[in-house]
Amino acid sequence: MSPDLVAVLFVAAALVATGVFVAAWKRDLTAALASLPLIFGGAGVAFAGVSRFAATGAPPLFGQEVATLLPVVALALVALGVGIAGRGTPR
Amino acid sequence: MDSLHAIGFYVSAAISVGGGLALAFLPGRGSRGVALAAAGLGIAGLYLSLSAGFAGLVALVCYAGCALLLAAPHYRVIETAVGAVWRQVAAVAAAGLFAVLAYAAWRGDFFHALYVSGDIGSASIGRLLFTHDALATEAVGALVLAALAGATVMWRGRGRGR
Repeated sequence: MSPDLVAVLFVAAALVATGVFVAAWKRDLTAALASLPLIFGGAGVAFAGVSRFAATGAPPLFGQEVATLLPVVALALVALGVGIAGRGTPR
Repeated sequence: MDSLHAIGFYVSAAISVGGGLALAFLPGRGSRGVALAAAGLGIAGLYLSLSAGFAGLVALVCYAGCALLLAAPHYRVIETAVGAVWRQVAAVAAAGLFAVLAYAAWRGDFFHALYVSGDIGSASIGRLLFTHDALATEAVGALVLAALAGATVMWRGRGRGR
């Protein structure tokens, strides 16, 4: 079965929901930062999927462009969060 | 989409969601880092199967960086005071969010268009990033610079104060 836009959006929704679940489930706030790349990844997959399958008035590569920028933003936010958490006793 | 791309899509989807779930349940920093790296590998594979190879390459590097940051042995553990019941309620709410988003995707009546661009498309993406949307690219660059500078200052400040 060849995947279509619905399948892509399903996977994107699963990634976003998994990220929200990680954020809610983790007791350690620093470990919960790992939810950010998942949520951003889900959004990026949705953007790339729309860019791949849908016909819109926007430039055809706009979704891929956003999907390229989102992991960079996620990395920056995780670095900032880990920096705010600071050094401490490893567990 | 040919069968190779389709297989790659479904395998990558399973790896990314499985890595995310492992991230939630695995204890220990090292295993969390490996789970996040696996999720990143899956997301990069998803991008590649969606003909966004350049985005997949960027995602692979960035998720490896996130995994290394979160697997590092020297950061403080900050425990929340939220009880187990509220965490379970939030987990059910996350499942509800997935149900709503999946229903919206299923009920959406999307028009299927023909895709004519290449698999990697780094030149086209680069042109778009540095000409049409240069301001957005610079904003993300400024965000990365501010985040890294802030993280470095806080990290060094805490280390000096101890």
